[in-house]
Amino acid sequence: MPDNPAIQGVREAFLAQFPAASSDQALKALHDAFLSRKSGQLTALMKTLSTLAPEERRDFGQAVNTLKTEIETAIDEKRAALEATRQPSGGVDVTLPGRTLPMGRIHPLMRVRRDVEDIFTHMGYEILEGPEVEDDFHNFEALNMPPDHPARDMQDTLYLDAPVAGGTWGAHRFEGGQRGTVPEAQVRAATLLRTHTSAMQIRYMKTFPPPVRIIVPGRVYRRDNLDRSHTPMFQQFEGLVVGEGITLADLKGTLEAMMRALFGEGVKVRLRPSFFPYTEPSAEVDVSCRACGGSGCGTCKQTGWLEILGSGMVHPAVFEAVGYDPDKYTGFAFGMGMERVAMLRYGVDDIRLFYENDLRFLEQFPV
Amino acid sequence: MRVLVSWLRDFVDVTASPDEIAKTMSVRGFAVEGLEHIDWSSPESNIAKADAVIDFEVTGNRPDCMSVMGMAREIATAFNLPMRRPVARGKSSGEEEDGSSLRLASLKAVEKSDIDVIIENGDLCPRYAGAVADVTVGPSPGWMQARLQASGVRPISNIVDVTNYVLLEMGQPMHAFDFSKLEGAQIRVRTAASGESMTTLDGEKRELTDDMLVIADAQRPVAVAGVMGGAASEVADGTTVIVLESACFNPLSVRRTSRKLMLKTEASMRFERGLDPRLPVTAMERACALLETIGAGKARATVVDRYPQRIEPLTLKLRRSKISGLLGTSVPEGDVKRILESLGFTLREATESGWDVTVPTRRVDVTREVDLIEEVARHYGFDKLPSTFPALTFAPPPNDPRIGRARHLRTVMTAAGFSEAMTFGFVASAAAAPFASEGELAPIANPLSENFAVLRPSALPSLVDAVAHNRRREQRDVRLFEVGNRFTRSTGERRSIACAWTGAASLEHWSGGARDVDFFDMKGIVERVGEALRLEVTTDTRRENWLVPGRSAAVLARGERIGVMGQLTPAIAEAHGLPANDAVYVAEIDLDAAENLAPKEDMRIEALPRYPSVTRDISILIDAALSADAVRATARAAAPPTLVQIREFDRYQGKGIPEGKVSLSLRLTFRASDRTLTDAEVHSAMEAIVAALIERHGAVQR
Ligand SMILES: [Zn+2]
Repeated sequence: MPDNPAIQGVREAFLAQFPAASSDQALKALHDAFLSRKSGQLTALMKTLSTLAPEERRDFGQAVNTLKTEIETAIDEKRAALEATRQPSGGVDVTLPGRTLPMGRIHPLMRVRRDVEDIFTHMGYEILEGPEVEDDFHNFEALNMPPDHPARDMQDTLYLDAPVAGGTWGAHRFEGGQRGTVPEAQVRAATLLRTHTSAMQIRYMKTFPPPVRIIVPGRVYRRDNLDRSHTPMFQQFEGLVVGEGITLADLKGTLEAMMRALFGEGVKVRLRPSFFPYTEPSAEVDVSCRACGGSGCGTCKQTGWLEILGSGMVHPAVFEAVGYDPDKYTGFAFGMGMERVAMLRYGVDDIRLFYENDLRFLEQFPV
Repeated sequence: MRVLVSWLRDFVDVTASPDEIAKTMSVRGFAVEGLEHIDWSSPESNIAKADAVIDFEVTGNRPDCMSVMGMAREIATAFNLPMRRPVARGKSSGEEEDGSSLRLASLKAVEKSDIDVIIENGDLCPRYAGAVADVTVGPSPGWMQARLQASGVRPISNIVDVTNYVLLEMGQPMHAFDFSKLEGAQIRVRTAASGESMTTLDGEKRELTDDMLVIADAQRPVAVAGVMGGAASEVADGTTVIVLESACFNPLSVRRTSRKLMLKTEASMRFERGLDPRLPVTAMERACALLETIGAGKARATVVDRYPQRIEPLTLKLRRSKISGLLGTSVPEGDVKRILESLGFTLREATESGWDVTVPTRRVDVTREVDLIEEVARHYGFDKLPSTFPALTFAPPPNDPRIGRARHLRTVMTAAGFSEAMTFGFVASAAAAPFASEGELAPIANPLSENFAVLRPSALPSLVDAVAHNRRREQRDVRLFEVGNRFTRSTGERRSIACAWTGAASLEHWSGGARDVDFFDMKGIVERVGEALRLEVTTDTRRENWLVPGRSAAVLARGERIGVMGQLTPAIAEAHGLPANDAVYVAEIDLDAAENLAPKEDMRIEALPRYPSVTRDISILIDAALSADAVRATARAAAPPTLVQIREFDRYQGKGIPEGKVSLSLRLTFRASDRTLTDAEVHSAMEAIVAALIERHGAVQR
């Protein structure tokens, strides 16, 4: 029944209005007028179905549906055409490179330093910095290395022509952690460049009572020539824990936790007896060689192990020098070179690369 | 310390291979620096064919282990084996002998023999033994030469070789004098008289000072005590009678003398660490036995042993509770006793709490209970310790906030395209000179190189070096920064952030727009650093002789100078190896100063504006020399508080603008927090501002 006059009337009414509808809004109004489920003209047509003879109903219904599809298609097509005219013209070659924002890199030694700081912050350590210029008492004497002690030869020291005031430290621990007066134990007259961050052990213990749980990262200096494995300045972390009942086993557990965090779960850690004047017992610490997995290779001189840091139980003479009771307190300390860790982690075989600041080196590290 | 394994086996029947010995001892406190396998080819040598030299690193606290015997004792303990010691017994007739018989000669201690020994300075020489022997100088036998050579000592003559052999075997330095060259048949141990000098065995003439201990005859010094013998009394081919010296000297005295003379010897290295006062006579007996064994001569059977103050061994308490308290594990009592006794300590079960332990006099490193515990732990094995974790018994204090702030700065700087550099804290004097007056520089007293002669007064010279390093390696566009310390006499050690920028202002792109860095790029970075520190920074013209005039500024915050920025002069750029026509912009901000000025309290937010803002643009013609800062200040002073922002959006000089003038365009934004501004309000504000600009600066509105 395609020529049903009622349907034909609605179709003609639509075709008469359609050309003028040239906006989204007009198209929506047209859509509503004809196709709205409630009040559309097609809905009205369907309502007349019941007045028809039963044999006519099927054809009538089909004809209404055909018209419905016709109207929907017309409106959708016009909508799409309308949308297309509004798009900006001119495409681009999407394969050309993007406009990159410049992004610098954090120095690899700083990446290591941040990792270590984070590991120990999680373990409840206080991280703080100390002065790079020091006096003999804090760098040597209080660390059980009196003048003329042979162990001083192990650390060839750079001395200053005339004393200089050292940088401030520990201000955050005074006056509620805000800007405040600096602690008594500031370096008034530094005479040398600190050879190790251990000097801060003394400053800290002289200023604060036990218990102690600190990490001190920083630059240290030795009278060394530049070569593949030496620089006259390098960077260390000092760790110090003092309290009642601190043991060598605690040191072992702590170092293992640090090494796993730095080198991965599979790393093995070994403590070897050694000698430092300020610890007793003393231990050199090795980690299993990553290059060979511990079976022995050129990197580890066939031993399967790589030396990574020096450590030990704080010597009672050090406690005496800072006024701690050596019979009541024990503690452990360790000192580790950031360069050593970075060299092992990133496969760097020449320490000088860290201090040349060659962008071709620095930019290999991810942003 | 190079130790021959076959020599070790004279003292301990260790069946382990050299590799096993090395591996075990490296976890007992003796790192192994090398291991050489030896195959003795010499047929007359009766040393086992397959042999090895293990190079042990003996730590500075263990002079007792700078000998074959010392290492043998450690190995015996590590492998739980008994140890043999040299003993006095007669030479078994008809049998070929070598060192492995461990024979000692019997010497009778006498008050005075053919030689007299006088110790004038007992503090510096606790013991001196002298013995006379009749000798025939010649080469030593092959086995002795082979052992010396394997241990790194050059054979010289039978007499000298015997003294060196005893040094290596027992750790006791010895010296032989030609008796005929000792004036008055006397040994005087005394300090040198000032002005005295002597020629040592190495042929050097040494000026002596009155704090140096010497061995003298009746007339003059014949040896520097514990360091080196003198050339004048040296044993030579024609020598027939010798005096052997075996003594004990004050470690500090030997160390000072050795350092002063810049003369380090096998003897001085041992004496300065401390030697066993009980060893000299045993060593003398061993040397005399060896003289006979190798047929070099015969001792006159007596020894003059000056030992005025007998040194008694130390007794220390060792408490069981302290062992477990320090190590974190309880070591079985059997192990404690076995280890200490094997090392030569004597244990007496004193009380329930522990032992009284007598320390052998050779163990100069053991003076406290912890030293004993270390001995136990060392041979018990660090690998047997459990892994535990220290209990956190208190709330940890906050971290140093400077660390967090520096981290934040690094993030900000890298986001601005700068990579982090790390440079040394010292620079060459010439590089430092432009950055501080000479009186401000802190020189290093003993620099190893001219390049590291003074502490850096600024991080810029080394940072510019890093720029130059990159520039020479085809890196034209360089942005670097460093957070570090710098040093001057008046301010001491201060923290700073320094940055350097050369080349492109933005990354090259096919779409163009490339431009080289200029002053305002760097100023933007300085402002960004300020923001990161919660400081509003401004700049003010300031002349620095290392910066280009007119492109040099002081950086200020809250009216205080916190840094400097500008373009490096071509002369300085060139001095660092950069092309003179490369513009290098630099800045340095004192972080200590900046952080002191920064607000300490938390920031508080401002309510968002509820009423719309109104913007007005004006263009004015002003003197080109007039600073934007001055214009802004005038506008602000004349405007009502509803003026919330002034921004320069155009600055033009050239065609259509009179010489010496500049056209400056400003965009002013007005807003009130409690109402919508009316046109009339804004209009009158603009009129007031323009009037002020005309009045103060002679501005002409365009
Ligand atoms: Zn390996």
